[in-house]
Amino acid sequence: MKNQLIYNQGKQLIGLSLIALLISCNDDFLYEKPLSSLSADNTLVSVEGFQTYLTGLSWAAREEYSQDDNTFFITNFPGTDVGEDAGAEYFTYRNWISYLTPVTPEVERNWNWAYSTMLPQANTVIVFANKEELKDIWKNEAQKNAVIAEGRFYRAYTHNLLANLYGNVPIVDTIRNAPKFDFVQATRDEVYDFVKRDLEFASQWLPSAGETPEGRIVKAAADHLLTEVYISLGQYDNAIASASRVIDSGDYRLMTSRFGSNLDEPGDVFSDLFEDGNFNRSSGNMESIYVWQFESFTPGGGGTRDGNQAVRNFGPFFVRITAPDGAPNIPTNEMGRGVGRVRGTVYSLYEIWNDVGDIRNSEFNMRRQFYFNNPSSEYFGQPVPARTTAEDTLRSMYAYPRKIEGNPWNLNNTSGRTSDDVYVYRLAETYLLRAEAYFRKGDLQKAADDINTVRERSNASPIAADQVSIDYILDERARELLFEEPRRRTLIRMGKLVERVRTFGLLESSKNTIQDYHNLWPIPQTAIDANFGQKLNQNPHY
Amino acid sequence: MKTKLLVYGKYILPALLLFFGLHAYSSATSIPEDRVVTGKVTTDGDPSGLPGVNILIKGSKTGTITDIEGEYSISIPDDNAVLVFSMIGFETKEEAVGNRTVLDVILNENISGLDEVVVVGYGTQVKRNVTGSIASADLSQSGDDAAVTEALVGIAGVQFTDTGRPGQVGNLLIRGQNSLSGSNSPLIVLDGIIFSGNLNDINPRDVQSMEILKDASSTAIYGSRAANGVILITSMDGKTEKPLISLNSYTGLSEWASELKLLSPERYLQRRLDWRAQSGLEADPRSVDKYISALEAENYRNGKYTDPWREISQQGRTSSIDVNVSGKSNSTNYFLSASLSDDRGLIYNDNQQRYTLRANITNTIKPWLQIGTNTMFSHRDLSGISASVREAYRMSPLGTMYYEDGSPTQFPVPDEQAAGNPMRNSLLSDNSEVMENLFSNFFLKLDAPFLEGLSFRVNFSPSYQWNHNYSFMHQDKNVSFNNTSASKFNERQYSWVLENILNYNRRIGDDHNFDITLLFGRNHVEAESTTAQGEQFNVDVLGYNNLGLAEIQRTNSFAYAVEMVSYMARVNYQFKNRYLLTLTARRDGSSVFSVNNKYATFPSGSLAWIISDENFMSEIGFLDMLKLRASYGAVGNQAIEPYQSLTLSSTQRYVYGNDGSSSLGVVTSTLGNDDLTWETTYTTNLAMDFELLQRRIAGTLELYNSNTENLLVRRNIPVMNGYTSILTNVGEVNNRGVELSLTTDNIRKENFSWSTVFTFSHNKNKILHLFHTDLDDDGLEDDNIANSWFIGKPINSYFDYQYDGIYQEGDEDIPAGSEPGFVRVKDLTQDGVINADDRTVVGSGNIPEYQYGIRNNFNYGNLSLSFFINAMQGWIAPFNLINPLVPGRSLNQLDAGWWTPENQSNSRPSLVYSNPLRTSWYVSRDFARLRDVTIAYDFNHKALDKLKMNGLKVYVTGKNLATITNWLGTDPENAGAYTSEQGSDALYPMPKSILIGLNVSF
Repeated sequence: MKNQLIYNQGKQLIGLSLIALLISCNDDFLYEKPLSSLSADNTLVSVEGFQTYLTGLSWAAREEYSQDDNTFFITNFPGTDVGEDAGAEYFTYRNWISYLTPVTPEVERNWNWAYSTMLPQANTVIVFANKEELKDIWKNEAQKNAVIAEGRFYRAYTHNLLANLYGNVPIVDTIRNAPKFDFVQATRDEVYDFVKRDLEFASQWLPSAGETPEGRIVKAAADHLLTEVYISLGQYDNAIASASRVIDSGDYRLMTSRFGSNLDEPGDVFSDLFEDGNFNRSSGNMESIYVWQFESFTPGGGGTRDGNQAVRNFGPFFVRITAPDGAPNIPTNEMGRGVGRVRGTVYSLYEIWNDVGDIRNSEFNMRRQFYFNNPSSEYFGQPVPARTTAEDTLRSMYAYPRKIEGNPWNLNNTSGRTSDDVYVYRLAETYLLRAEAYFRKGDLQKAADDINTVRERSNASPIAADQVSIDYILDERARELLFEEPRRRTLIRMGKLVERVRTFGLLESSKNTIQDYHNLWPIPQTAIDANFGQKLNQNPHY
Repeated sequence: MKTKLLVYGKYILPALLLFFGLHAYSSATSIPEDRVVTGKVTTDGDPSGLPGVNILIKGSKTGTITDIEGEYSISIPDDNAVLVFSMIGFETKEEAVGNRTVLDVILNENISGLDEVVVVGYGTQVKRNVTGSIASADLSQSGDDAAVTEALVGIAGVQFTDTGRPGQVGNLLIRGQNSLSGSNSPLIVLDGIIFSGNLNDINPRDVQSMEILKDASSTAIYGSRAANGVILITSMDGKTEKPLISLNSYTGLSEWASELKLLSPERYLQRRLDWRAQSGLEADPRSVDKYISALEAENYRNGKYTDPWREISQQGRTSSIDVNVSGKSNSTNYFLSASLSDDRGLIYNDNQQRYTLRANITNTIKPWLQIGTNTMFSHRDLSGISASVREAYRMSPLGTMYYEDGSPTQFPVPDEQAAGNPMRNSLLSDNSEVMENLFSNFFLKLDAPFLEGLSFRVNFSPSYQWNHNYSFMHQDKNVSFNNTSASKFNERQYSWVLENILNYNRRIGDDHNFDITLLFGRNHVEAESTTAQGEQFNVDVLGYNNLGLAEIQRTNSFAYAVEMVSYMARVNYQFKNRYLLTLTARRDGSSVFSVNNKYATFPSGSLAWIISDENFMSEIGFLDMLKLRASYGAVGNQAIEPYQSLTLSSTQRYVYGNDGSSSLGVVTSTLGNDDLTWETTYTTNLAMDFELLQRRIAGTLELYNSNTENLLVRRNIPVMNGYTSILTNVGEVNNRGVELSLTTDNIRKENFSWSTVFTFSHNKNKILHLFHTDLDDDGLEDDNIANSWFIGKPINSYFDYQYDGIYQEGDEDIPAGSEPGFVRVKDLTQDGVINADDRTVVGSGNIPEYQYGIRNNFNYGNLSLSFFINAMQGWIAPFNLINPLVPGRSLNQLDAGWWTPENQSNSRPSLVYSNPLRTSWYVSRDFARLRDVTIAYDFNHKALDKLKMNGLKVYVTGKNLATITNWLGTDPENAGAYTSEQGSDALYPMPKSILIGLNVSF
């Protein structure tokens, strides 16, 4: 009897369990559909979806400039022939040996930005746009290729930057579903060659100026970069051809007369190029090719660290200068608030300015005179007498190019930031790249002609063919593109960094500690440590 | 709101006195009227009467004893009388008489502690039948705390690390760290339901018991969520027929237990001089005011110094009041409570005000049908932006925090802007931060009328949590730009648990006892949040209440859902009452896991043998009880966020052109993993429970060995993959350890007793496998430097250069780039070059190797004293505040000393030390601490009866009164914030506090 009861009960238990199982037979609810997150799979299904990813690429590219104060774009300047981080309290290239190591933050962060912010985004666009199952979303082949071309431009830009700074680096040309631990370095030339092929495609399919929103990549941007890459590969005729495609396109010309937002104010055409609002073509500026966009009071108008940080980094720590009555200077709308992280060298502030007519050295373009600006001081408005201590002249008061000045970010003049856009490429540099190609090819006259085109616009006297040299081209780049071109990359690319720091470095300690091996950055230790399946070769002597 | 609470605090005591006074008055006027109560006392399982039982009217000397039949008769003064039944060998029982005239009582045998009932997953068990590893928290020592977590300190195998901050839950680890980057927090189960809130939501006064499930056998019934251990919290129910009203209140003050020693103004100036000398700059002590900023120089001349720690402090203060009513009748058992507490932390505006409400009601509708609910609501208000500890740490002692009109400066040294004013955000912002949690369970329990021992229970447990955080930054009248901004964050989480539990309990003959539990459950969680932000308010009178007034507006929203399904079966079998077996299995399906791994099954088994019940043991007189236990089982950890197995993107915005319109950008953000699965921990547990010498010594010794496989890991990968990390499963980690709990009754006298509770635990953690790869072909499994994971080393290992003192002047082996005053590290490869190959594992941290706790309780009459000391040792942590913090800027730092050419320290670097190798400093976290001292006085019943009170106790508690440690930070238990020389808001001071409290019941 008792056993029977247990038996019956057992049956009931099993029955109940079965009910439980039946309830849950359908377990579709366990398969996730993200409620508020996008993915490439659900976004890259329409042309509009691809546009959002390309906008994401525009954002990612601008992050090179704005994602951090001291470890990003600014690192192109200290420890070069044009600039030095000279403040006594920081440890930068004052001692190359202890500063530049595989654990230096900027070495790691630039690498990480390239590989994790730029390349996965660019490769996602390229891989998805090439997908066979998406072929019906495209109006035509050209529309598809234009999207791919923009992705390939950014991929090329990034690899070129990596090869310039680090030498032999892994090429990443696709996206993965699972991580890999044995990336292999390609040689620098293999990287340049990969970059070249991306850019040749991009040049073919990108839109021309005016056919795409301002700030987006145009054909000329690809051709401009291609010129540099051809030079790196020693293909000078190709370089001349690609630069000529920009120069002869009819879309671009150097600005030779005043234009834009500041017409009624004193100035000259060179200062007009750097007025807020004058960077894009809609202002009448015909030499702008590729511009990072900044806009105060606008979502997305600034990067991770808000606006354009040029004034903070390049401007002197002027508020540290006190009047004889003890009143410190104050940040103003005109000058902003610099902290003197990068001071120009004697070379870039004085030695290269040997032509009296050169408007690039005019009072509108170089600030060489300072005034007490604290209204509560009795010395208000009076010129600040020359300073003699190294602390003042290296950090708190020095001449600087006024192109770094601009409207204060969100109207806050203590922010150290402005809302000025930033040139990545403008036509003057295209001329100087073509001049370099002509020179390296041995056509000195054409090299001089291109340099003179740039010089003439600034009212500087022309040079003769026999005056052209790589050093002269670097001088001219310093005059035209000071604190604009990423100088470290230019010098490393040309193999001139060590030599020119030893010649033109601002600090004796910097000149004395730089070693031959510093011509390349080290591979970040974090990348070497993580890639344990394949030893990444550290650059020699690091 | 704030003022109201303060007022309430102030008036508690007078109100209580008034109340008691009135009550005493009214009771004095009632007229006693004797009547007779009769009854029979029996024992459990034996209907024949128990003779010789002592019966006493509580609080009086009137009493009687039972006759040979176990029957008694006694005259009582009124319905409020409580009878106390006691007899040696049995548990003492109290019964309120009420209006009953017949009162039969069953006394339970009190053979040993094994007869206590403990809560286990999905039920309760008599302790003697427990085969797994379960520790009970002693709430009697800590029930007066603001947080339930305090009761967990000192339990063997539990590591609780406090933050010292109101409303912040510390870090809780049970038996070390299993997971590398999944959650290591134990699962909290409140009244049988997995709790989805914050531990601070629970009123500690509502807690009846807390059990910590440690081994796989006891936790496996929580399957995929149990790998980090389980804490079962059970709330109160009614215990007496007479309604019991209980009121508890305490108030206390707290101070900083220790503070980081910042540079004094003199030391700050000396540092500047020394730094200048070491930098090769002019350093004339007479010109020191020229070397600092103009404002600092002026303050220096005027003797205006700031002590930042004083500036950001407030008087720490806590007060709490709690009232509950409970009781039971044949049909209803109820416990209702309300509590209100107000905690002010040590830092300005770091406050929590909380109220909680609870209703536990069970109704017996039919003899076979019960329905009921456990419902709680908590409201926690953490409003107010706290002062910034980080900025206070960094700011110059010669800075200026306030203008003459009392308004805060933006930067204490404005021309430097190096450190912000630590008080500015607190003073210029309005903030409302409230968290609410409505957590309930509605249950129905059916006892099958056709089969004894079969019951069925349904739990439906809906829970709502609402959080909001609103902030508004007012216009700072001292700046020239519009700095106003506001944000509103609203979050709502809704979850429900549905459980069907079938239980069958059956005894067959005298020797076999079965207890079978089956469960089918579903769990759903959904959450959504919206953040709306505004900047540039032209009118700031409406604060955050009208974001539409902002010129720039942004919104973000977020939502997720998680689904789970579970099946569980458990069998308990007892043979001859001394051979015990438990088998469990749970199968869980969870949506957070990858498409290829939605389900996992977790089995476990355990055995126990009560040896002391064997005949052959009866000869051993000193041994009261000895029980051996062994268990083995698997549990899982699925504690990851939803959607983490998927490849996802996030959004950014960008502006094209000059017209200020912005475009949406989508950017890649995380790399998915189609094979992401549960991590599984396999634990072997061997234990011995023992009681000796008439229970004067009782304890438990446990040994465990657990291997966690498929660790859920946020693993750093080569960034060339496009991502810096991926959530994945790797390898195997081993935790093995010993735990000892020992309770001794040192002195047992009528008026004086002394008992001691001692706990010790030792845990050793090491990685057994990582990726099972040998990509570098050296014949050994690859380590993973990128994550600091090394085979054979603890999870939290520090991989760095080995410190070897400081380079001194005259040393001839100083490498290029270094100089005297720089850190010397060991050249482990002895190749004459210091490079990445010289790094090694220099130690490990986060979990101590050894933990000790000792509590002594003394009772003398009604007075009791207890003190508790705990200690942890065998761990280190990075401590980089020793590095110079840019001594050329107006930044303060820890005054730990520095190297100078005149005073060549071998333990501190020079002020121009640039740390070229990016090494960290490591400091021992070992400590011993007097954590708690309590003196209490329990008024005797005689005095209380006049007041018609059931109990009255007053006590004074001192917490965290003394610590012995070499740790340089504020607190060795809370050491996560010292990796940056820049300081951190987590450099929060720990409080030491004194509380006085009062418990009354009537």
